[in-house]
Amino acid sequence: MRGGPIGTDHMQTDEVHVSDGDPSFRLIADSAPVPIWVTGLDRKRSFVNLAYVDFLGCSYPEAVDFDWRNIIHPDDAANILQQSIDGEASLKPFTLVGRYRRGDGEWRWLSSISNPSRNAHGEHIGFIGVAHDITDAKTAEIAIREREAQLSAFINQATAGFAQVDLDGRFTLLNDRFCEICGWSREELLTRTMQDITHPDDLKRNVPLFEAAVRFGTPFTLEKRYLRPDQSEVWVNNSVAVIKRDVGTPYGILAVTVDVTARRKAEAELRRASESMLLAIEGAGMATWEIDLSTMEGPWSPNRFDILGYARTDNGRAPFDDWLARVHPDDHDRAEAAARKCFAEGAPFEIEYRILRADTGEERWLRSNGTMISKETGETPRFVGVSFDITEKKQAEAHQQLLIDELNHRVKNTLAIVQSIARQSAKKGTSPEDFAKSFEGRLAALSAAQNLITAELWRPTEMHKLINTCLKPLAIGQQILIAGPTATLGTKTAVTMALALHELATNAVKYGALSVPEGRVKISWSVSEKRKLMLTWTETGGPPVKSPNHKGFGMRMIERGLATEFGGQVDISFEPAGLVCKLKAVLPEMQK
Amino acid sequence: MSDLANKRILLVEDEVIIAMMLEDMITELGGIVIGPASTLESGLAFATNEMIDGAILDVNLGEGNSSAIADILAARNIPFLMATGYGHTADNVHSAPLLQKPYLINDIEQALLSILQS
Repeated sequence: MRGGPIGTDHMQTDEVHVSDGDPSFRLIADSAPVPIWVTGLDRKRSFVNLAYVDFLGCSYPEAVDFDWRNIIHPDDAANILQQSIDGEASLKPFTLVGRYRRGDGEWRWLSSISNPSRNAHGEHIGFIGVAHDITDAKTAEIAIREREAQLSAFINQATAGFAQVDLDGRFTLLNDRFCEICGWSREELLTRTMQDITHPDDLKRNVPLFEAAVRFGTPFTLEKRYLRPDQSEVWVNNSVAVIKRDVGTPYGILAVTVDVTARRKAEAELRRASESMLLAIEGAGMATWEIDLSTMEGPWSPNRFDILGYARTDNGRAPFDDWLARVHPDDHDRAEAAARKCFAEGAPFEIEYRILRADTGEERWLRSNGTMISKETGETPRFVGVSFDITEKKQAEAHQQLLIDELNHRVKNTLAIVQSIARQSAKKGTSPEDFAKSFEGRLAALSAAQNLITAELWRPTEMHKLINTCLKPLAIGQQILIAGPTATLGTKTAVTMALALHELATNAVKYGALSVPEGRVKISWSVSEKRKLMLTWTETGGPPVKSPNHKGFGMRMIERGLATEFGGQVDISFEPAGLVCKLKAVLPEMQK
Repeated sequence: MSDLANKRILLVEDEVIIAMMLEDMITELGGIVIGPASTLESGLAFATNEMIDGAILDVNLGEGNSSAIADILAARNIPFLMATGYGHTADNVHSAPLLQKPYLINDIEQALLSILQS
């Protein structure tokens, strides 16, 4: 550029040839900081300036004759030579850009401009050239290009997505990964805003943050969902920063986007699994609790609050002391000692104890198991325990003990009855054979009554059933008439009644109506509205009756036993036609 | 046996067959039987109104128990034995000695003698 006007001036003054000998021209050219040269049609330099000489680092004559083709960078040589030939042939200004080796050996980028020079007649006489050292600009340009290439490679190879939007949210720049994450093509995204593809439910959180970023330049991080074209959701974690111009005004928002769908899914599954576990544990009636030994409190499962009768706390945590406060005073020291031993020594915590509920004061039995964990991981030692309500089990155990006691009682009572029967059967003068016979008969009656009661599950026994059961072993059904309304007897009364019937029947078989085939026994009874029982045992058709000279167990059993048992009156009369036994009593109200 | 001679012993036992045996045993030992009572009601009446030296109370009386009778006897300073088929001592009222069923006549004699002497 600068060479142009000089050359023109010169050409206007020296019409024949550029006067390279002109001292003023030389002075001007030598003071220029850039190499300047004049070339003739013979391609030889007729003039070079001082900067030209300095660049080559040689003497003036050497510089004039220097073949510059020798110092072109090999990578640029072919290009420059071709352009040089073309430029010269065009007879128009032309520019060559390339690297040349300076005299000191350093490669410099030069941009040389050659202008065709003409004489006063307009005839072409050669070229005037000027070279600018553009090494610094070229180096900076290359550095920028390299950095851009690196940045571009970085952005496009990143596992993270990059998206830049303008202040309204319109996408302006995207990397491939971002397109891949959100499922939209680059073309589709560049016509949309980030608001368009953000899940509506997440936009409520997103918009205020975005606006704050635009207004105040506040960066933010947000987990949200993008909606893909098929409406499926993808969870992303966006780190968002504001891009500002040098003067500080923001012109864009850049988001670095990571796909966290898999992580969210894993978290959700873990949460679900943990919830299922908790449900299963709670469903099994178990409560869980933890104690952080540094704070002596920790999380409780909701049902633990319920079991202890506490209101659930907002953060679901409660102190160890709240548990201890609920332990029954009688079990308190034992329970606390077991817990402390577990804390201190890691001994398993296993205990059954009572609590008094905080709300109702009700006593409940709990079983707790616990253990110390995480000591080896370097965390604060933690106690983890489960508790469940074993009140029902304890009650069942107590009930079972009651049943065992009751059974024991009944067995002992029955043994005492057997003992009594044995003693009564072994009165003085009884032969061992007679003893055995009467004892066994009475035992059989007792046993039959017992069978009946057991079959009725210890509920009241019906009179007909009882009489039939007692007299059945005699196998004399056709000689016995049984007539009466339905009447029920308590179990104890039934046993006594059975034994009394046995004595009456035995007596009848031995001495009375049942000792002969034509004899008859009628058992009849009536029950009044006021539950008055009138029962009569009447024998007829037997041998003549005589009053016994002493009353054995049988008679005592009937007269005393039956009367006492019924709380009534028993009369036995030895009528000539046969024995008559009358029982008058009031039947107690039967409970179901 | 002479120590129990003419001693008036109240029997409270709801199982009549057992009561009959106890009656025989006391009689054999020379004692005089008061009762036997088979209900709480009659037991209370005997305990309140009769001249009694000692008593044998069955713990279990049908639906109820005999502790009310024991209370009256204790108030009258009349010693008594508690008879039970239960194996444990929860039935023990007024620190009365327990008598286990079934009964041995020698046990009854010893137990009665010991409460009558103290």
